[in-house]
Amino acid sequence: MMSTDADSSPKTQSILMDCGGKVPVEHLDYGFIEKCTDVKYVEKILEVLRSGDEGIYPHLIQFCETHLEKLDPRSEAIKKDIPVATEATLNDQEWSQIIHDLKTLQEETKNTDSLQKQQSLFDEQLYDHLPPVRGSNLVIPLTKKSVSKEKRTLSKCPVPRDYREWDKFDVDEECEKVDDCLNEKDPPATSNTGFQKIKDEVETSALSHTEKLFLANREKYKGNEAYKVKDFEEAVAYYSRSLSIMPTVAAYNNKAQAEINLKQWHNAMKNCQTVLELEPGNVKALFRRAIVHKHMGDLSRAAEDLKMVIRKEEQNHAASKLLSEIEEKMRESKPEQTSRGKKILIQEVDDKDDVTDDEEDPQHGAHPVQHSQPVGGDESSAAPVERRDMGNAQKKPHSRGDGGPHCESNDSHHGGNWRSKGSSSDKYRVSQANGSSKRGSTASAQSDQCSSSSSGKGTAVGGNTTGSVNLDAPCGALPPQLCRLKNEGNLLFKNGQFGDALDKYSQAIQGYSDSGIDSPEDLCVLYSNRAACYLKDGNSHDCIQDCTRALELQPFSLKPLLRRAMAYESLERYRKAYIDYKTVLQIDTSVKAAHDSCNRITRVLIEQDGSEWREKLPEIPVVPLSAQQHRREEPPSAEVLHARAEKAARDAERRAEVRFTALKQEGNDFVKKGQYQEALGKYTECLKLKPEECPIYTNRALCYLKLQMFAEAKHDCDEALKQEPTNKKAFYRRALANKGLKDYLACSSDLQEVLQLDPNVQEAEKELEEVTLLVRQSLSNNSPAKPRKSVPITEVDDDTDTVVGNSENDSRGDNITVNLRPNNAYDFGQYLNATRHSGNMSACAKLLASTAPDKLPELLSTQLDGHTISFIMQTMDSHLVEKDPNLVYQHLKHLHTTDRFSVALMLVEKDERQRMTQLFERLAAVESSEFTKNDVQNLANRYI
Amino acid sequence: MSTPLSKPQIIAHIQKSLDYTVFDTKWIPCSAKFVCLGNSPRGTGVMQIYEVQHGEAQLVKEVTKPKPLKCGTFGATSLQQRHLATGDFDGNLHIWNLEVPDVPVYTAKAHTEIVNAIDGVGGLGIGDGAPEVVTGSRDGTVKVWDPRQKDSPVANMEPTPGDSRRDCWTVAFGHSFNDQDRCVCAGFDNGDVKLFDLRNMSLRWETNIRNGVCCLEFDRKDIDMNKLVVTSLEGKFHVFDLRTQHPIKGFASVSEKAHKSTVWQVKHLPQNRDVFMTTGGAGNLHLWKYEYPAQRSKKDSDGVEMGVAGSVNLLQNVALSTQPITSLDWSPDKQGLCVCSSFDQSVRVLIVTKLSVVT
Repeated sequence: MMSTDADSSPKTQSILMDCGGKVPVEHLDYGFIEKCTDVKYVEKILEVLRSGDEGIYPHLIQFCETHLEKLDPRSEAIKKDIPVATEATLNDQEWSQIIHDLKTLQEETKNTDSLQKQQSLFDEQLYDHLPPVRGSNLVIPLTKKSVSKEKRTLSKCPVPRDYREWDKFDVDEECEKVDDCLNEKDPPATSNTGFQKIKDEVETSALSHTEKLFLANREKYKGNEAYKVKDFEEAVAYYSRSLSIMPTVAAYNNKAQAEINLKQWHNAMKNCQTVLELEPGNVKALFRRAIVHKHMGDLSRAAEDLKMVIRKEEQNHAASKLLSEIEEKMRESKPEQTSRGKKILIQEVDDKDDVTDDEEDPQHGAHPVQHSQPVGGDESSAAPVERRDMGNAQKKPHSRGDGGPHCESNDSHHGGNWRSKGSSSDKYRVSQANGSSKRGSTASAQSDQCSSSSSGKGTAVGGNTTGSVNLDAPCGALPPQLCRLKNEGNLLFKNGQFGDALDKYSQAIQGYSDSGIDSPEDLCVLYSNRAACYLKDGNSHDCIQDCTRALELQPFSLKPLLRRAMAYESLERYRKAYIDYKTVLQIDTSVKAAHDSCNRITRVLIEQDGSEWREKLPEIPVVPLSAQQHRREEPPSAEVLHARAEKAARDAERRAEVRFTALKQEGNDFVKKGQYQEALGKYTECLKLKPEECPIYTNRALCYLKLQMFAEAKHDCDEALKQEPTNKKAFYRRALANKGLKDYLACSSDLQEVLQLDPNVQEAEKELEEVTLLVRQSLSNNSPAKPRKSVPITEVDDDTDTVVGNSENDSRGDNITVNLRPNNAYDFGQYLNATRHSGNMSACAKLLASTAPDKLPELLSTQLDGHTISFIMQTMDSHLVEKDPNLVYQHLKHLHTTDRFSVALMLVEKDERQRMTQLFERLAAVESSEFTKNDVQNLANRYI
Repeated sequence: MSTPLSKPQIIAHIQKSLDYTVFDTKWIPCSAKFVCLGNSPRGTGVMQIYEVQHGEAQLVKEVTKPKPLKCGTFGATSLQQRHLATGDFDGNLHIWNLEVPDVPVYTAKAHTEIVNAIDGVGGLGIGDGAPEVVTGSRDGTVKVWDPRQKDSPVANMEPTPGDSRRDCWTVAFGHSFNDQDRCVCAGFDNGDVKLFDLRNMSLRWETNIRNGVCCLEFDRKDIDMNKLVVTSLEGKFHVFDLRTQHPIKGFASVSEKAHKSTVWQVKHLPQNRDVFMTTGGAGNLHLWKYEYPAQRSKKDSDGVEMGVAGSVNLLQNVALSTQPITSLDWSPDKQGLCVCSSFDQSVRVLIVTKLSVVT
């Protein structure tokens, strides 16, 4: 635009000049307009054309507009306001979506509205956490303070004009003034990056759920916006706020992404993990975790995550690209790992005790890594312990095989070795694993903890990874100041300043004994580290002393043993050295250095003592199994196995999930087509995959109902209700099943349950009416004496039912004899129903006899209906009251405390009541030490 | 610019004609209701509550007040209470409980003349710290009120005696990202824009945009101040990037000629701080998106940091009315839902679609 202006403005100027600022008529022409490139002038032409002063030429106006748009699409002249859109301009789908959204808004707000009205009682609380009132009537002038004016006048006369004034001139004062001026003139630019001051948490105690949701969303929006502008730290702060109000998957995910951008791998990892815990298989989180893994140098884990992403989203190009990149790198890096194996054991010998220690090697950040990826991984490799299992399994043997000789040379050129060691993140991992393996069982337990949740120790470290050295990294149970000392010691040790390191460790040990903590592991580590320093300094005596102390604290710790062995060896006390090396080998046969030394010492001892050298040896202590490490026997560590099993389980689960959904869908389709038998098969398969799916049970119950297999239907409904005690479908279908089974009372109680859950189910209402009629009929048909027994008899009409019913009853009858102590409500209900349907009172009596009375209400729980009550009463009356009146009394005492007892009692028919009265009479007639007649009378009042 | 299909659309959903002049409309937070404030032909104040229901705005409540109501805000109330703070033609500040709107829960004779503008912060979970209301008036003063303190303002920004009093047309809170920091920005009829720091009780920055300042708003009140949009009488608006303040040059800004008439209002989308709507004196609405520059700050020749302004992008423009659109309010609950009032004595509920896909 600038250039066109520059080109044509003189011409335009002249044109305008010529015509006195007016557009000449000749210029209102297609040809001229087409050639004209001056936006301003074309605008002017357009203005003239639109005004209609020179006549109205609609087509020319349009032409001019399109030309202008070509020249400058943003020109003001062509910016026309379009009329506002209305319902008509949108297609139906969009419009209905909008209407739907509005409707949901209305509904939601109506709910929150009413909620908030209730809450407004607690208004006073809201002011509790507010800051105080700012002040009263503080005046801020609208203009800047007059100070600036004074300064201006000052600056006008910076030096005295009069010679006499020079006498008064105070150099110092003037200098100060000049300084002040300078300061005033150039206050540093104010940059509003106040995110450091943003609180990470929000006070939400006084808020309701909806408000929290609202606020959490707001904070998330703020985070998103900050993220867009690349203010990642600010974004993280806002996401943290959002999470402190209400944790959501999205906020965790976004926070992880922001942290990835800040290269805070550990925090990002933690957040990805949290997302995946909350929502396994979240694609974004998997992808982000893959990125984190990649940057932390764990390519195989990264690849694994990416594969998972691609499995979920085949079209995810970013993931497939990254995956191929990673696979490439993995191929490159493999050979190198083997070639570098030799150096590893050096670290093994004097290696550190704590995962955190390794991380602090200041060399790490600076060294080129064998992968071409960013160095981030090196600094941070300590935290995610789960990585360990991967690289470890293949690399371990190398480290063992070649480590020995280096161990000795270690003393001489230690510093150099250290420096070279830090360069590869892979080796590093090996050392880590070795370290933990030698720490013995306690240590491995510790590392297990870490791997189970990368939070624990890993996170604590995570925050510190950006700096290459963090002296405050927590270690074990040590208080911070001791940690610091220890870490400083480690650092100094690594730098080869053994004397200084020694001091630090000594201070730490002193501090430890002063502080009176009880953590032998940590003290052991401290001693062991100090021993390493002594060893380096050639002070073998002190080294041995420290190692012995360490071993007293933690018998059979690997490192102190190894160090003591080396110290003994250097003192030429070969026997003791031999013993220690042997002990080391018992603990971990893979320590190559110990093997080699053993061989060497054996030779020396043979020379010294002849062939009977062994007899002169003191006894080699037997290492308890718990301290031994059978690394050889089980090459993949427990973590690997665990991870694999977990993965396999996850895969299986996913596959099952897919198959489950497919089966369910097929089943539903069959139901729609009316092919219930087929649907039944599908649902049964579904249930094999997932026995806890309530909807499948209800669906299968429907099929059974349609197929007139009522007993099975009832069973399925019972299952469904077990999963979901308020499923009205299940209640309704059980009612139908009960109806089919001619158990009208149970049917009506189920229907009542349905109506209680949802009074709008008209089918249930209708059914209920019908069933109530049937109940009456059946009651009038049955003989009053044994009303229940007639039920199975009537069932004979229905072939399927009887068969099913009987077989079920039989099998259940067996069950009862087998398992007379049902321990959950479901089993109990099953047995009870079975006995009731078969009228098998003796079985019921056994059941009751085997049930603790105080458990009865719990076991009956939802099963109780009028039917059950009367059946129990009958059983008690006919079978129990004579044999064991105390039990009957106890049962009756507890029975009425059951839920819904009073409701169920109302459903009990008149003749049943008579029977109840009879029971109580008989009970009252019994002489017992446990209850009196009065007690029975009281109890009877509750029933009758 | 994007293709027409992916562009946000502004849809007029409901239009309601009123029998009074409406000055301000506000959504009641967490509801589908909005409040209209205005001036009846008899010269009394009107407060009406409408509820959006089945594609219509239904009058829920109407209250008459002795003085015409000019402006209102929910900014300083809790989500539970949702009390409306209003300013009237007589210079009074009232806070109303909308359940019982007959008697105010708070009253102060805030100014000697009409309260032109009001804003609140510290409520609705927006902005940490104390709930505060700021009022700007024709009497030239800007006052900050705390509903917990009766009668006197907590801060009073007034011209020093002897200076001319300018008509304050607009006020806004911002920079309230923790419980101490907070800023008030005020715009005056002579084009002055003044930013007051309430923490230090000082004037932090001022500028003049050479034309009356009709409206100004921070993109968000509860973050470290990020952007400020200032609209002016002659159809321009300015976007200031507030992140970097140069000691001499102040804040970087970009200006855009928006409407061919006065830009009456600017309102940022609550769900996205970089999208805002301006309303024009000719009844049109423009929807804008601010694009950040690649680098938001750079060093000047002396090595001092200075801000770099981005650009604004017109997303949509529609003509709604022939009369000025005096107020606009986005629904805090539903993205894209807004209500606006205009001098043609009507309120309209608008829906802006595809805001979430704005990149």
